[in-house]
Amino acid sequence: MIDIQKLSLSFDGINTVLSGIDFQLQPREFVAVAGPSGCGKTTLLNLCAGLVDLPSGHHLRLANAVPQLGSHDVAYMLARDSLFPWLTALDNAAFGLKVRGVPVEQAHARAAEMLQRVGLSGFEKALPKALSQGMRQRVALARTFAMPSPLLLMDEPFGALDAQTKLQLQDLLMQLCQESERSVLFVTHDLAEAVALADRVIIMSSRPGCIIADVAVPLERPRSIRALQTNDAFHHTYAQVWRYLEQGWTQHEG
Amino acid sequence: MRAEKLVILVKHAVFVTVALGLWEWGARTGVIDQSFVGSPLGIVAFTFKNFFNTRMWVDMGCTMFSVVVSFVLGSAAAISAGLVFVTWPKFEAFCEPYVSALNVLPRIALVPLFILWFGLGVGSKIAMGFSLTFFIVLSSTIAGMRGVNQDHVTLTRTLGASSRQMFFWVTLTGAVPVLFSGLRLGLIYAFLGVVGAEVIASERGLGQQLSYLASTFDIDGVWSLLFDLSLIGVVIMKLMNWLERRLLSWQ
Repeated sequence: MIDIQKLSLSFDGINTVLSGIDFQLQPREFVAVAGPSGCGKTTLLNLCAGLVDLPSGHHLRLANAVPQLGSHDVAYMLARDSLFPWLTALDNAAFGLKVRGVPVEQAHARAAEMLQRVGLSGFEKALPKALSQGMRQRVALARTFAMPSPLLLMDEPFGALDAQTKLQLQDLLMQLCQESERSVLFVTHDLAEAVALADRVIIMSSRPGCIIADVAVPLERPRSIRALQTNDAFHHTYAQVWRYLEQGWTQHEG
Repeated sequence: MRAEKLVILVKHAVFVTVALGLWEWGARTGVIDQSFVGSPLGIVAFTFKNFFNTRMWVDMGCTMFSVVVSFVLGSAAAISAGLVFVTWPKFEAFCEPYVSALNVLPRIALVPLFILWFGLGVGSKIAMGFSLTFFIVLSSTIAGMRGVNQDHVTLTRTLGASSRQMFFWVTLTGAVPVLFSGLRLGLIYAFLGVVGAEVIASERGLGQQLSYLASTFDIDGVWSLLFDLSLIGVVIMKLMNWLERRLLSWQ
């Protein structure tokens, strides 16, 4: 689904943002990218979304094609919910489909179905100002999953939520991914979240951002976030990921 | 809450009654010179008489026509110019010195030129109202469009939105709250510009009537017209508030 080989990036030709990035994301795979702030996680996501131009001579392919901004193969979910305050929950959930040319009735039917799926049935006509942060993020999830894009790019979507809401939405995301069989590239700074959700966790070092470890998560699916709290493999992997991250700091400081 | 409001209302009524009573008493007893400050009962009498005078309604019609036309034309031109500036920042940078110079120019000083160019009729009043509305709405259009939530823009770009979708669905709608505050101010300034130009020189209009009454020392008439103008201003504000509540209920 994603194939990146020896990718480096510098915006000004002096400071290197990404260095020698090399990884593949297989269809229906969930890969989390974790690392310290400013290590280039979001830039990597933006490159995949086509928001940042691919430097010439570098290899990055999405389903064997160079990433293109607005590609229907990709759905992007930002850190903040980014709901349009003047649109109802239903219109927000249908927004992506409408932009991509799906007839209004069809878009609304699909959006209503997704709102129901994320537990917001009955809130179709609510404006974002009437929704809690968690509910707003559910609408954003509905908007993302309403589109049939096989690849989801998610940039710390639960970063601004309280711990309890975060756990609920992580469970919901796992269920949605399980049902819809999407490939997900998930950026997070929360290692527990990365291990809980992903099939693999990619650890990046501070600038210049490079991959210091690619850790396979030995946990079966379907998973339950609550059950993982008592799972030894979860804790073992979490500790392993932490060690790699610390190594990255040491290397960087050294 | 209701009792609180009633208390405030009673306080206002007492204040106004006492103030007007003192004024009337002063005017009647000669403590204050009536020929310079008028008297409340004289103002009421003039207002009542003027209410049934066709001339007053024709003047009000002229003033309001000039206000509406200058506001509509000024806002439309400002929004269009704002769009051009936001779309082509280099053109905005080129125009910036001229726009700044014209914006800081005391617009009322242009009235003699406008009268020379457009005559004593509504043309010069519309030009005056236009010149005030334009710069206010232009600033708010640019600020509104530049201040659009960048997350919305990024999200819409990743969805592959066309320029038309981006403009109408995100940029313009997102700019409406800031744009609206500019429009509200623009309407008040159009009113101010038109009446100001009428006071300086005009064939018709409330400003012209005000100027005539002042020149003939009809101070009761001047107060009465000032009251009318203030009332019109309040109605304009209420109308804009109502429109804002309707259009921006999502805020």
